[in-house]
Amino acid sequence: MNPFTDTLLVVLLLTCFLLLGTSRLAAGVRLTAAQGLMVGLLPLALEGSTIPLRIALLAGLIAFLKAGVFPWMLLRTLRVSRTTRVTHPLVGYGTSMLIGVLAVGAAFWLDARLPFSSETESKLVVPVAFSVMATGLFLMIGRRTALDQVIGYLTLENGIYTFGLAIVSGIPVLVELGVLMDLFVAIFVMGIAIYRISREFDHIDATQLNTLKG
Amino acid sequence: MPPAPCLYLALLIPALLALAALVHQPPRATLRLLTLGTTAAVLGLVPAIATVWSHGAMTAADGWLRLDALSALHLLILAVVFLPAACHANLYFRAELDHAGFSRTIRRFAALWFGSLAAMILVLLSNNLGMMWVGIEATTLLTAFLICTHLTPDALEAMWKYLLMCSVGVAVAFTGILLIAAATAHTGLPLTSALLWTSLIEAQQRLDPSLVKAGFLFLVVGFGTKAGLAPMHNWLPDAHSQAPAPVSAVFSGCLLNSALYCILRVLPLAEHVSGHAGWAREVLVALGLVSMTVAAIFILAQRDIKRLLAYSSVEHIGIMALGAGLGGLGVFAALLHALGHALAKPLGFFCAGTVGQIYGTHEMKRLGGVTRHVPVWGIGLILALLVLIGVAPGALFLSELLMLKAAVDQHAYWIAALFLAALAVAFIGVLRRTIAMGWDASAPPPAPPPRAGLAARLLVGIPLLLLLALGLCVPAGLADFLRQAAAIVAGGQP
Repeated sequence: MNPFTDTLLVVLLLTCFLLLGTSRLAAGVRLTAAQGLMVGLLPLALEGSTIPLRIALLAGLIAFLKAGVFPWMLLRTLRVSRTTRVTHPLVGYGTSMLIGVLAVGAAFWLDARLPFSSETESKLVVPVAFSVMATGLFLMIGRRTALDQVIGYLTLENGIYTFGLAIVSGIPVLVELGVLMDLFVAIFVMGIAIYRISREFDHIDATQLNTLKG
Repeated sequence: MPPAPCLYLALLIPALLALAALVHQPPRATLRLLTLGTTAAVLGLVPAIATVWSHGAMTAADGWLRLDALSALHLLILAVVFLPAACHANLYFRAELDHAGFSRTIRRFAALWFGSLAAMILVLLSNNLGMMWVGIEATTLLTAFLICTHLTPDALEAMWKYLLMCSVGVAVAFTGILLIAAATAHTGLPLTSALLWTSLIEAQQRLDPSLVKAGFLFLVVGFGTKAGLAPMHNWLPDAHSQAPAPVSAVFSGCLLNSALYCILRVLPLAEHVSGHAGWAREVLVALGLVSMTVAAIFILAQRDIKRLLAYSSVEHIGIMALGAGLGGLGVFAALLHALGHALAKPLGFFCAGTVGQIYGTHEMKRLGGVTRHVPVWGIGLILALLVLIGVAPGALFLSELLMLKAAVDQHAYWIAALFLAALAVAFIGVLRRTIAMGWDASAPPPAPPPRAGLAARLLVGIPLLLLLALGLCVPAGLADFLRQAAAIVAGGQP
């Protein structure tokens, strides 16, 4: 047990609940920034006392992108789309929190049945990763605005990254850089897309993008 | 040519062209660059494909880049789709040369076009599953804005749906790759080579079976979303119908196949760890049959020609998945089918796009008498549709017949029955529309179209001739090449 790791993971789990409970989009973006910081620090914490330079540099890059660049890009998108909060979510905030609690329960139940945790540093990594992934997926389905969906996508991505840290002892740097580059382009492209949608439709309510059917 | 320059050349040409396309120049010049550049990129693939065709697999960059019969076949499919698509783009966008702001639109279009070409080549050349994933995700991001080349609300909606669904799908696939990486923990593979496909195949005896199986399921769902397998296909009809015709052609003939290719890569691994009991192949058979059935039902209800072609893509990807799942002769048939589909479907989209431009609509009811009013493109459209529903002697008839034989040889009669039923429903659904479009004389003719020049005739004629030739006889060299590729899917011999 490493107290630093567990603290990071608990904070990560808390941001999920806050994300499920907030109606303000800017707060949501800031929460993903906090998540990004936790996820960036996590490999350092898992590594223990001696940290190879390669891991330190990658962790720094991840924290810089996820806690700095992405939130900045999303907040800018938010400003130009002139949306601040969502009035009628598809699933109420109270219900969302309840679903979050159930998801955490399910994540621990699932983890107990899978062989991963026996080999990891901390018993919390895999269940927390599952919870974060579930939160991300839920946000993408249960919220209305296109920006919420991007926040959900980032959360899902953070969950998958945490899961990867837990079960794989190391991914080649080139692949890791490729994945980060793709993520960067994804947030960039989604930002432009939201900007275009807000100009064309005067809103970014993705549930109203429903003319194409059949 | 030695392997390394061959493979680097294939990757570098389109990447450099993507940058070159951004240079400010008149729209006519950008269009010319689009066609000539794509030709150059395709020519750049020729030495690589030819070397693999005659000498077998080759590797470069410490084993990170690799081309074998399976990936070379997919490179060939890519060439067969991109080259005519670039030529058609040249004709298609000519109508818009004088529109305000077209210069910027077409420059962005060309840059993204070459970018996605480079990303697709990266998918096919990567020996590392992680890099393969990076390439697939890059194609999603680069092609998203190609869908909304014309900024309409519908195109934006289609683009958003595509971007989100495929990003999430591909994220799921990444989880699958992580699981497969975790399966190598006790194989003694060094970290740097743990995700290389060749090392995975060599170490397949020592992989953790349950992790590989779980990873395979995640990969099938994830890449299956991108490949347009039902029930993850919802983005596909929207994106295909809203994109400009050359982009729809690339999506249908090449993008879907490159995602399916990734599934075919991991299929032998999953088959091996499940003791060659057919577990992994059954997953593909089930998804293939579901896709065929869903597509056949939706084809009956379509009124828009491009949506009809899109659902037909869901059907054909389903057929390929089914063939790969059947194994043996089925894999050969699936690969032949992919090649035939890559010739026929883009042709369908080219003709539908141009006819749509002339009539000002894609609604099939209002396209009556296309064969008379728009001779070259109209006849091309009707013949492409006939080949796509498997009318003899087209290439797709032959591959579907072989697939049926594969199913019957294995005594999988219920699979054969479902396969035939779905084909029949799609056949009736498309034929009904085709007859009305081709020979309905009552519909008012459009404004007289510009005469189709030699380029148009060649663009329609060459694929049709190739489809006919492939349907009559598969040349021995090609058949041998297809067999080598099929052996990789079936047995995974590196």
